[in-house]
Amino acid sequence: MANPIISLKQVYKNYGHKEVLKGINLDIQSGQVIGYIGPNGAGKSTTVKILCGLISDYDGSVHVNGIDLKENPIAVKKMIGYVPELAELYDVLTPLEFLGLMANLYEIDEIVANERIHKMMQAFGLSDNMNQRMDTFSKGMKQKVLISSGLLHNPEIIILDEPLSGLDANSVIIVKELISKLAKEGKTIFYCSHMMDVVEKVSDRIILINNGEVLADGSFHELQSQQGNNSLEKIFAQLTAQETLSDTADQLIKAFDN
Amino acid sequence: MINRFFLKLALLPESAYQKIGVNTHQLKAILSVKLLMDDRRPASIQYAQKKKTSKPVSGATWGTIIASAFLGLIFIFAFYVTDHSFTQFTIYFSFYIFILAATLITDFTSVLIDIRDNYIILPKPVSDQTVLLSRLLHIAIHCTKVILPLTLSGLITVGIKYGLIATLALFFLFLPATLFTIFLINAVYVLVLKLTTPEKFKNFIASFQIIFSIGIYASYQLVPRLMGSAFLDRYTIPKNLSSLLIPPCWFAGAWQFLTSPSGDLYFISAFIISIIMPILSILIVIKYFAPSFNRKLAMISGSEQITIIKKSKKSYRPHAWVYRLASWVTKTRVEKAGFLQTWFITGRSRDFKMRIYPGFGYLVVFLFLSVFRTKKSHYTNIDLNNTGSIILILSLIYFISFAIIQVLSQLSFSDKYKASWIYYTTPITTPGELISGSVKAAICKFYLPMALVISLVGVIFIGPSIIPNLLLGMSNQLLISFVIAYIGYREFPFSDIESTKRKGTTFIRGLVSMLIPFLLAYVHFLIFKFTVPILILLALSIIANWLIAGSIAQRSWKYFTINYRED
Repeated sequence: MANPIISLKQVYKNYGHKEVLKGINLDIQSGQVIGYIGPNGAGKSTTVKILCGLISDYDGSVHVNGIDLKENPIAVKKMIGYVPELAELYDVLTPLEFLGLMANLYEIDEIVANERIHKMMQAFGLSDNMNQRMDTFSKGMKQKVLISSGLLHNPEIIILDEPLSGLDANSVIIVKELISKLAKEGKTIFYCSHMMDVVEKVSDRIILINNGEVLADGSFHELQSQQGNNSLEKIFAQLTAQETLSDTADQLIKAFDN
Repeated sequence: MINRFFLKLALLPESAYQKIGVNTHQLKAILSVKLLMDDRRPASIQYAQKKKTSKPVSGATWGTIIASAFLGLIFIFAFYVTDHSFTQFTIYFSFYIFILAATLITDFTSVLIDIRDNYIILPKPVSDQTVLLSRLLHIAIHCTKVILPLTLSGLITVGIKYGLIATLALFFLFLPATLFTIFLINAVYVLVLKLTTPEKFKNFIASFQIIFSIGIYASYQLVPRLMGSAFLDRYTIPKNLSSLLIPPCWFAGAWQFLTSPSGDLYFISAFIISIIMPILSILIVIKYFAPSFNRKLAMISGSEQITIIKKSKKSYRPHAWVYRLASWVTKTRVEKAGFLQTWFITGRSRDFKMRIYPGFGYLVVFLFLSVFRTKKSHYTNIDLNNTGSIILILSLIYFISFAIIQVLSQLSFSDKYKASWIYYTTPITTPGELISGSVKAAICKFYLPMALVISLVGVIFIGPSIIPNLLLGMSNQLLISFVIAYIGYREFPFSDIESTKRKGTTFIRGLVSMLIPFLLAYVHFLIFKFTVPILILLALSIIANWLIAGSIAQRSWKYFTINYRED
């Protein structure tokens, strides 16, 4: 197999006494679409934040395209496009100003960047809103701006943290299409989500983590053959829930017994 | 604890409530939760003065009470500036109405008109009467919490000066005065809501809070001065038809009538008006204002999404000159990013303006007063041989740096600090450039206009002979700004939440930031009359500017927090 584009070896991360990542090992090949799933607090976001450079005090080694993230974070950041979860952005800016800011930080040629920004906004149907402050935007509109900001410098690796949250049904289709088109272009996509049905469809490989450890790793079909011919949702439940979920529902119903 | 007392008191006429179709269990449930929430919310009076802390607020009720009591102390001065009791009470009631309106106007949005009611209470099986009564009682309790301490010092003063009956009369008159104030607030609200959009409405409240806190500061400064002034001593408010149009005169007249009933026509009519007008105005509120008000409020809350999409929104076309300025004063792309971001956000973020403008206001008041004072003592023309004039000129010039320090000390804070992920995920080699760009934006936006105005004023009033001193002064302001940025600006722009955790170091930094301007101003003062040393110092100052600005831009990652702050 070729050299992995992303490689995590024995990655540990603690917050105080709490171990969030307990030795994550991952090798990701170029051009793969990775579905990264796990319950809340499993360490999903932490992994993503380490990869993007948001957290830099971790133990273990992370290499992107053969470059050590700790030694040369700038080179790694140039290759990665990040779309964060939840619309955290300076929303008194307009999309044009925000994306211009991102273009400056990535040092993309101004003319090229400007053209890209306009094209992307147009494609997302935000042409009329380009000069409006984002504090009046809906969640979906903000998300579209964030997706654009992550793709602006045409990165090799795209990390998406719940990119569909707040998007309407049609936009979800657009983003799903976008993911598969980007994969065809040879981009590596690291897709973090709760939405099992989408992960099931778009991912070449699914990685399930819980309590800071990788629980399952393989294509959807591989997972099915290991865990029984179930939907991803069912497999997820089998691997992560302590009790069966229908028991929980039973207990909820029993609360009315008084 | 104090809330429980109010709750008990409010629920006393339980059977009467039940008769008009109020469910008292629900009423108690709603009220007690509302009071609990009030207790955990910083009071408006404190908000205007204190900065936000990350510590959860509890016992805010006591905060409100103490703050109101303090505010009340300001306006007992009314009883000491003049011997004319009608004038005294007119001044007192003017202050009372103004302060009460100012305090409640901010609370009404956050506390009294809680739009979450629409989601939480309205879908539950609660009758309209219950909701209405809970609102009224809540408003009444809230007002009581503000009014009692606010009036306490006044009541005591009147008791000492005029005796028991006078105090009781005053106490009685607070009721119509308060009703009238509530009417005023409602009128302002309806007017503002008629004229603007809900989003602008929030801006209005924010700017109002700023003006209010500056006003309080100014009156703390001015009142003691006024006490001694001869002007007020002789001034009395005339008893004529035109003064009867001024609401505080009604209540002052009514007080005169109540304490010493006589056949004085003016006082009798004042008394009648003071009772009738509040009742009339409250009826107007209920009949005409309330319905449209509620409709508007529903607009603020419920269908916000819809109204926003429909509305044609203000467009922020990129100002070509800002971009040109940015390219002109910055060297790298990252620096430009820092410049533009700071430029845009400082102009638009309500949160930022709230933190910056009160400080500016205080400075202006302070400056105004000190100019006022110096002018009085040296009532000669300003000339460069007079020490007093030199001090006046220098304090005008060095005043700029205090304003800049205000801005610089706030640039790293934002309520959108979570959006700072962009600095960590993008390939920034020297993050110092971002800071340097941001500082340059602050200088262009806040320093340049002030420097220009003060220089112009200086040249026009004093003549070209002041130019060397002006140049040195302005260069020094720039130097102070860069030094302050070098010492204090250690986080990314708009990337941090204000917290009390690092008080220790910030205090020392704050002290240093205050010392630097004083030190430079003192040196400048010593050489003020000697042109050659001034030119030498000017050259040194310019070089220092260049060096420090450069070293800010070269700051590497090791000076910054390595991890993105999420909480």
